[in-house]
Amino acid sequence: MSSRPILEVLDGGILTTVQDGGRPGWGHLGVPLGGACDPWGLAVANLLLRNPPTAPALEATAGGLVLRARSPALLGIGGADLGGVVRPDGRRLAPGASYRVAAGDEIAFPGPPAGGRGVRTYLAVSGGFDVPVALGSGSTCLAGAFGGVDGRPLRDGDVLGALAGDPAAGVELRLVDAAASAPPSDAPAVVRVLPGPDERTRPARAALLAETWHVGAEADRMGIRLDGPTLPSAGPPDLPSHGVTWGTIQLPSDGRPIVLLADAQPTGGYPVVAVAISADRPILGQLRPGDAVRFVETTGEAARAAVRHADERLRAAMDAMADAARWDALWHEAGA
Amino acid sequence: MTGAPARPRIVPFGDTAILVTVDATDEHDVAHIRTIHRLAAAIRELGDPRLDNPVPGATSVLVGYDPRALDPTEAAARVRTALDAAVAAGEATDERRRAPLVELPTRYGGSDGPDLAELAAAAGLSEQAVIELHASVEYVVAFLGFAPGFAYLSAVPPAIGVPRRATPRERVPAGSVGIADRRTAVYPGGTPGGWQLLGRTDVSVWDARREPPALLVPETRVRFVPVGR
Repeated sequence: MSSRPILEVLDGGILTTVQDGGRPGWGHLGVPLGGACDPWGLAVANLLLRNPPTAPALEATAGGLVLRARSPALLGIGGADLGGVVRPDGRRLAPGASYRVAAGDEIAFPGPPAGGRGVRTYLAVSGGFDVPVALGSGSTCLAGAFGGVDGRPLRDGDVLGALAGDPAAGVELRLVDAAASAPPSDAPAVVRVLPGPDERTRPARAALLAETWHVGAEADRMGIRLDGPTLPSAGPPDLPSHGVTWGTIQLPSDGRPIVLLADAQPTGGYPVVAVAISADRPILGQLRPGDAVRFVETTGEAARAAVRHADERLRAAMDAMADAARWDALWHEAGA
Repeated sequence: MTGAPARPRIVPFGDTAILVTVDATDEHDVAHIRTIHRLAAAIRELGDPRLDNPVPGATSVLVGYDPRALDPTEAAARVRTALDAAVAAGEATDERRRAPLVELPTRYGGSDGPDLAELAAAAGLSEQAVIELHASVEYVVAFLGFAPGFAYLSAVPPAIGVPRRATPRERVPAGSVGIADRRTAVYPGGTPGGWQLLGRTDVSVWDARREPPALLVPETRVRFVPVGR
């Protein structure tokens, strides 16, 4: 790696990968879309550093990640609170803010604090991490063992650099609208869905919408199993395989639904009960085993309005960060 | 094929895609596979930046679109123009797109094909007969999925078209050749897998640095060539 080393991995934790906005356009060759499972969390981490919202960042899952700063750096944190802390000074790294660290500092994410929600945190550096671009993206493709750092999860000894010249440039900022996509209380997460393409799944869909589900132990970047009642069968168990999307809710013959996430394989042969709207992908990406989730049916028009709303939220965050940086520059010019 | 092919159907698939479906009496039929890819190519050749690169399936093509720029009705109308032109042009265009032939030298049985004996027993054939049947067919890549470079090949002779294993393996070595029902495939490596493994090739079917990264792209013709170990 040609760029200056910024962070060294002391412990990769349960699963930490480099992720960006994903790798569209390669599904016909079997390549998953990939990218951050919580795109809003990724955007927050990046915008705090005035990076593009989909610049490559670290996606840490559930906890265990420990890094050491090899140089002074400014870090942006988004997504769920995994108990981030700077050692030895003990500063907390709550999501929605950027933090200055010194060479030698340890940056640890031991796991969600009591009562915390969500499962994925995002850590960005100025300019984005310097990883090779493969098929148009820096994202780690675990199924194909390429992208990110050697196509695999981070492990101790990995050293990461950034694309920007000065990793410590910029000021510590806080983003007011940085709420993680996880629900703030013990209430079930609510995910809006549209009907699937196959009318034969209507009875299964009615049952899906009527229940409160719990995220099963089988939950990863490819998808999450839902624990709950067994859904009625929806036509022949082995349909001709067809393309599927992030948010597709499939029903295997055992009647236990699966919600597909960013790393889902691009084709599948199970009946599709419903499809979560794209604006709610960040919510799906922060569900962890045991979480309660409900699905409510919406309309195509409401789904489009939700996309516009998410875009406006992103734009407002970018404007807020630009304003904050401008005020800081004025402050410095004034000689304070 | 007799008569005009049925008009493809288009249905919404969530808020970011539409699914184009083609009726097929036999999804392994080569003419049908060609129809699917003729439709996918026509959509791709629109060059419309609001549409994603289409993803072919067994009897369908999934087309993603930018929900900021198109609603599903507009996306369907845009795709419909390409489909109608492609259906009208018909099979005449297919001969000009005759796909390349790839030969895969394959070691059958032993540690390379740990399921061969069981597969032969289930089919009521000798191992040699299974090998000869598997290697007797010129396969066609129907579509890809499961993992980068994993190509679903049509069609395995019915006599050896056994279902997948009850319990998938946690990790299948790169180059393993498997059968599941009427399909055969080469595992790119590093994934779990539930197909019955009958052999292994040293040819790499996926390399992210190669152009194209997948060796077995749609419509490629494939032959397995038995080799000694």
